[in-house]
Amino acid sequence: MKMVKSKNMLMYIIKRVLVMIVMVFFVLVATFFLTQLMQVNPVLNKMSSDPRVPFIIYLEELERSGANKPIFEKFLIFMSNFFQGNWGTSYIVADGVPVTKLISQVFPQTIELVIIPIILIPIISVKLGISSAKNRNKWQDSVIRGVIMLGVCVPIFFLATLIQFFVSNVLSVYTYGVISIETTSVNSINVYYTNRLTGFRLIDAFLFNDQALLQDSLLHLILPSIASIIVSLAGISRQTRASMLDVMRKDYVRTARAKGVAEKDVINKHTLRNALIPTSNEIVGLVAGLMLGSLFTELIFNYKGMGWYVYAAIRGGDYTVITGMIIVNSIIILSGTLVADILYTVIDPRIVY
Amino acid sequence: MKDSNVQELDFLKEKTSYFSKKNFIRALKFLIIPGWRDSGFSQKEYEIDKIKSKRKFFRRLIKPLTLIGIGFILLIVFLAIYAPWIAPYTLEYVTNVSKAIDVGIPYTYPSPSHPWGTTAYAYDLFSRIMWGARTAIVFGFLTIIFATSGGILVGTISGYYGGKVDAIIMRIVDFSLAFPTLVIVILFTEMISRELITMLLVFGLFAIPGYSRLMRASVLATKERLYIEAAKTSGARNFKIMFTHIFANAISPMLIRFFGGIGAAILAFAGLAFLGFGDASLPDWGTDINYGRGHMSMIHTTLFPGLFILIAVLGFMLLGDGLRDALDPRLKARSK
Repeated sequence: MKMVKSKNMLMYIIKRVLVMIVMVFFVLVATFFLTQLMQVNPVLNKMSSDPRVPFIIYLEELERSGANKPIFEKFLIFMSNFFQGNWGTSYIVADGVPVTKLISQVFPQTIELVIIPIILIPIISVKLGISSAKNRNKWQDSVIRGVIMLGVCVPIFFLATLIQFFVSNVLSVYTYGVISIETTSVNSINVYYTNRLTGFRLIDAFLFNDQALLQDSLLHLILPSIASIIVSLAGISRQTRASMLDVMRKDYVRTARAKGVAEKDVINKHTLRNALIPTSNEIVGLVAGLMLGSLFTELIFNYKGMGWYVYAAIRGGDYTVITGMIIVNSIIILSGTLVADILYTVIDPRIVY
Repeated sequence: MKDSNVQELDFLKEKTSYFSKKNFIRALKFLIIPGWRDSGFSQKEYEIDKIKSKRKFFRRLIKPLTLIGIGFILLIVFLAIYAPWIAPYTLEYVTNVSKAIDVGIPYTYPSPSHPWGTTAYAYDLFSRIMWGARTAIVFGFLTIIFATSGGILVGTISGYYGGKVDAIIMRIVDFSLAFPTLVIVILFTEMISRELITMLLVFGLFAIPGYSRLMRASVLATKERLYIEAAKTSGARNFKIMFTHIFANAISPMLIRFFGGIGAAILAFAGLAFLGFGDASLPDWGTDINYGRGHMSMIHTTLFPGLFILIAVLGFMLLGDGLRDALDPRLKARSK
């Protein structure tokens, strides 16, 4: 029986991966044409820093960069290069750097920004959901639901700006650039810190026992993490509360209470384990929401990750960078969905694909 | 048959005729035959239940938080309608740079001529927020009306026909869910134009997949009901079944989502405007936050537009939550 199930599972995963590859291909095509049809002229944007550039040089630059080729020719060139591993070169945001290299340098920064909320949010919001369900219709429940409601409604950029204002102007903990010199240099991709191995600053700091780097990286992650956590608490805690209330009415919970199980064990062992099954579906939405939210937090806290570069690339018209980053983003979202579906069968053995 | 029913109803209204001979037989029947129900009495009971359930619905809906939400929405709608009367400056003075510079200087503290100070390009912040309510309300309502009607159409067709049509539509829906929506909307607006109508349509277009999934699930549940089968047997056309029988019975999850969706749309639009991809010819709150963001000593230029976004979104979300609690049958069962 178990063999059959795992075989079906394998087939299911293979099928899903194949569908995913097709989808990523379509996203690639769509993104390429969308970016190419934008009303932004990257060559003009690049030249506009110096108004004295003669027109002939502008034309030469058009010729050199290949921006004046027909769109379908560009498409064929891009596609044939893309599948050979050459995702093009950045034109505006990091001049001359290959997109794959840029992504490999920038991507770890965003992962570091997102990983702390991903670890903390499920813990916090499951706790909130449990206490809200336990004290149903009491003041604790109202307070928790009110805070979660505010978190849903507040725009993340407004919250982040207020946090920034509070820390910099009210608390005066630090103002721009006072904390350390490395702060500014480490954050930029063109300046390499020593002891660089993986690109993840936290991991590198542990590998090489670089405490200054660790402190510096963590300090940069605190405020964006607070903003992201407050905004994305809602999904999991609401789901936890609803399913806890559902499970608490079941017969086996009443039986557990009747036979004298301690209240702590009733909640943690009998109720919570069954209530967490539908909650695991919310995690994919959480990851997608955090990737989107990082667009705003990175911009406000000037943290140079994917979101910052996507914004700069759209502003300047850096086609290759936009396409590459959107592809990476949708691969993350799609594979996140797949992993969640597989985990679902692990958590709940009754589900068979 | 019909006449007798009416008679029975009439008798129920008159208390004096309770002890008539006819009634006595009825009472006997009620006592002796198990499960026997008087047809007139059942009808009366049904009517009373109907009134009761209406009252129950309102009682469930009218809760303090929902009332607060309705109050916030009314406030924002009031501002949107009466903006020309409330705002001290006309629309030209808060969107046109060359006009605004005549009446003030950029980034000032509150003063008699500018109640909440000025923001970038000497725009009067108070007037801008009042006028911005119009943009937010128009955008929120029209986007969600477009998205829900599209979602209903796609979801009903896909759920009703099933098979190949369903498979193709659902693949398209899955495909569109793989995109990072906000970035794609930005790309679209950069491609076409930054006018409000473009953003509205693109936002609506990308909200359709979620709504059509919801509608499809609801239609699939409704399709199995007996009355649909009865309609089919009596020779109703597909179109009629879809848009009279199924539509009326499968619409409630869409209604529940409607107001929450407006809140989310206002939030997303503010995000887009904050990033600087908004319509520069219209005043809106997201752009105001973008103007105020870099000026930490002038925190009021960020605070006021942010609070108004919060109020608008909170109002719609609270009303949406209240509606869901009142309409969702799953929650009804739980609250017993």
